[in-house]
Amino acid sequence: MILLTGGTGFLGAHIAADLLGSGERIVLLARSRRGVSAADRVGRLLDWLGVPAGSRGNVEVAEGCLDQPGFGLEPGPAELTDGGISEIIHCASNTSFAERRRAELEAVNLGGLERILDLAERSGCRRFHLVSTAYVAGLTSGDCAEKLVSPTVFTNIYEETKCRAEWIAVERCSKAGIRLSIYRPSIVYGHSETGRSLLFNALYYPVRTALFLKDLCEKDIRESGGKKAAEMGVRIEADGWTVMPIRIRAGDEGGLNIIPIDFFVRAFRAIREDAADGGIFHIVNGRPTRIEDIIAYGQTLFHIRGFSACPAQELEGEPRNSLEKVYETYLEAYGPYIRDRRIFGTERADPVLERRGIRCPELTYDIFKRCMEYGVQCGWGSRLFI
Amino acid sequence: MPKTDDDVLKTAAQCRHYAMCKIDYLGTGLCPPGKKYHYVSYYPQGRMDLYAALEDGLIPVTEGLVHIAESCSLCGVCDLQCHYVTGLRPLRVMKALKEKVEAFLKAGGKPEAAAADEPLRRLRGIVGPDWATNDPAILVTYANDPFPLADLKMPRYVVLPGNRDELVAVVRLANELGLPYAVRGNGASVFGFVFSEGIVLDMQRMRHLSIDPDTWTAAVGPGITSFELQQEAYRRGLRVNAAEPAATACGNIVCTGIFSPWSHAYGTAADAFIDMEFVDSQGGVFRLNDKKSPNVYAFVNSVIPAPGICTEAVVRLHPMTEDEDGLLVPFWDFDQAVSLARELGRRRIGLAVAVVGIHYMASFPSPSQGLADRLKEVLPETLGIRYAVFAIGDRFARESIRRLAGTVIDSGLWRTLTLGLPRLLDPEWRELAAGFESGRPPYEVLCRPEMRPLLEAVLRPSPGTIASAVEEDLRQAYVELYSQERFSDMVWLNMFRIQSSRMSRRKHMFAFLIYLPLDRHDLINHINSEFDRIARAHAIDHDFGFITPLDNGKRAVLEYDYYIDHTDPSEREKVRRAMAEIGPWLDGLEETDKSVTSIKCVFSQGCSRKENFLYR
Repeated sequence: MILLTGGTGFLGAHIAADLLGSGERIVLLARSRRGVSAADRVGRLLDWLGVPAGSRGNVEVAEGCLDQPGFGLEPGPAELTDGGISEIIHCASNTSFAERRRAELEAVNLGGLERILDLAERSGCRRFHLVSTAYVAGLTSGDCAEKLVSPTVFTNIYEETKCRAEWIAVERCSKAGIRLSIYRPSIVYGHSETGRSLLFNALYYPVRTALFLKDLCEKDIRESGGKKAAEMGVRIEADGWTVMPIRIRAGDEGGLNIIPIDFFVRAFRAIREDAADGGIFHIVNGRPTRIEDIIAYGQTLFHIRGFSACPAQELEGEPRNSLEKVYETYLEAYGPYIRDRRIFGTERADPVLERRGIRCPELTYDIFKRCMEYGVQCGWGSRLFI
Repeated sequence: MPKTDDDVLKTAAQCRHYAMCKIDYLGTGLCPPGKKYHYVSYYPQGRMDLYAALEDGLIPVTEGLVHIAESCSLCGVCDLQCHYVTGLRPLRVMKALKEKVEAFLKAGGKPEAAAADEPLRRLRGIVGPDWATNDPAILVTYANDPFPLADLKMPRYVVLPGNRDELVAVVRLANELGLPYAVRGNGASVFGFVFSEGIVLDMQRMRHLSIDPDTWTAAVGPGITSFELQQEAYRRGLRVNAAEPAATACGNIVCTGIFSPWSHAYGTAADAFIDMEFVDSQGGVFRLNDKKSPNVYAFVNSVIPAPGICTEAVVRLHPMTEDEDGLLVPFWDFDQAVSLARELGRRRIGLAVAVVGIHYMASFPSPSQGLADRLKEVLPETLGIRYAVFAIGDRFARESIRRLAGTVIDSGLWRTLTLGLPRLLDPEWRELAAGFESGRPPYEVLCRPEMRPLLEAVLRPSPGTIASAVEEDLRQAYVELYSQERFSDMVWLNMFRIQSSRMSRRKHMFAFLIYLPLDRHDLINHINSEFDRIARAHAIDHDFGFITPLDNGKRAVLEYDYYIDHTDPSEREKVRRAMAEIGPWLDGLEETDKSVTSIKCVFSQGCSRKENFLYR
């Protein structure tokens, strides 16, 4: 029996579906949300993931919260151990970048991990899989190895807590004799072949923001005379394309390290099955995507002109319009990921993946189109489970 | 009688007695019979009580009730007035009350006449035949409040004296007959302490008001509401430190002293007036400026009766400047907000200052409860705002605050947000705004001047946009209200306290007020967390209200609010149990820490010097 946390999250749900597809029996620790029970949430996700009815008998749902003693389970977490947990896959985490949420992040990403490790020790679990992030490397450039790190500066509280979590997991698993595997994906987007996704942040955010602003300005032009759109420099050209003058600061090098969810799932499975001794593994893209390419893809797909990537020095002292401010703010949060000059070493992961012929696809226009069209179709997730 | 409509009865029972139907705060007119007959029974508030009392079998159909019902023309003024602050629609209650009485009469029912007894005859001899009554339909509207810890107490008589001499005579007669009495300034009291089994005195008819522009003072009779006083002062470019608009100015001063965000600059308690006139318990008259008068400026930390019945207050007015405007400084962190408020106190910056909590921030600008509920979630979750320092000041003060605080919501942005509020909750926009999150909260980005065109495009602020949040049949009326600039003017709204009753729209409010030192974050947080803990333990809705600096930021007044459905006995019971914890805890706190004073003892000592209870 495998215990999986974060089973209602993007990565956790896909891992759960993959495990069930392989005939594994799993217990999902999940929360209820907005009046929907954990079991119902899991059920909806399994439907969406296309998990056949025959496999559903292999999944149990334990409704609980990582940040509560005993996970808030009644009568207690003992019920999780009764079935004999052999492995724990810990995917759950709070992914907020907001410093003001430090207490919540620490409660889930550190306190929650400690509780799961307590359970691992009590249940006699032999393997612990920790889904971390490549960005525990912190604010740096150059080579980032598949080993424990202690950066002094992080981009945000999320990275910091994930890094601290790795140290906790290593120390406690080592003491308890539990084999530990740490998986460090970079930024994960939708399925490269179907475009399907459950999460629409990171890669999606600037695109959906552009579309939101485009719709807003077009509405202002059509319905209200276009005064606000004009103030922002937005106009519709004769061929129907919309001009949005947005200069985005970009560096000369670096890019966005993104991987599709299908690659992540296959890589996770391969490492879990083939690297039985554990270790730290980067699951990343060897060819980061340039911001210029994303801009080009987005403009082509959505009939937009005017976006441009400019070196920072060109924008120095230049007045910025409100659309540019939106993107500048976004870049404050995501800049280190977009203009990323970190090189994530894959010495440990590569041999495992190569043996199985698993390669991370490059983000092509076709993949981008599929993913974004799916995003639009499902209202960026808002219509997924209605 | 027609069958009872449960929804109508529910509306009637929900009347909060905030008396907003007794002032023309929307500029849409005043209930004509109320204005004419003065008894609260003739106002929508009283009719709501009457309908509920009739349904509950508390009163028969009386001659007074018939007159009250028939005097209502169903003009509908009350519907918008009440809805604006409470969300209730009293017009259907007014209609149901009329129908009930009409049906009773049509069926041959004979209204009961309340026989005049000797005391009533003597009371009428003093105030005139129309202004003293023992008609149960009138008595019952002075017999209860939505206060959860007090039960109905039916008076024998309700008397409306017309002047000081009549009041003196009534007091002397009451003493002679051994009748207890109580004064209800505007015929209502949300605190629920003001009842009598003898005479209830309603001061509605003592409505003299004169302003002396040379001394910046106003002589105010006890029937004048804070709203009316403020209106008169405002017309002359002056301002009074006023509390709730429907409360009488005199009653407010005597009762708790006037505290509001303006207390930051204008002070509280004895700072509000330069002289007052009272009728004492023996029917003697004294003025505070007479050296032989009782020393009401002193304070004792125990519950004592009021010095008498106030018959006039000469209140201070304050000058206004044309460049006054409001702003909000948003915060995620409470301590930071309190620190800024204290700094404004220490530096004497601004006229009105308060740290307000999320409940006020969400409730005040929202014309519907649904919108307020959603805003209460969106402000912290999406924009990172949990508290705000609200301030009003001239341009120099605002510039100073801007420099001290950095990010502010100025009045222009506030107007944009207010008039576009329903669209602020749009999920797609919220996701976009949430994406602004980084090391700094999203509100910092939204408040930047460059973002204004985008915000305006998103929110499309207009009277129509904000009016879309209310029921369809009220939308046009709301469009007309919001088309008037003052309904989105921070200064006007706050100095008249137009929207403050909205805090109790969902449930009636039960407020705790505490004076404390503003630099003691530990103490403030302890008090807030105790209120929070006790409320949670008893499953009571609750929230931090506000904190306003006093005396240059050395002290402050803090309000923490519990919210209960006063018509639900189980909710009343919850408050009863909570009070059993809060009472001893607060008493102990006051005993061990002299810098803490709860309102319990300031009650009825509102004329005392603030220094006497701030620095015990």
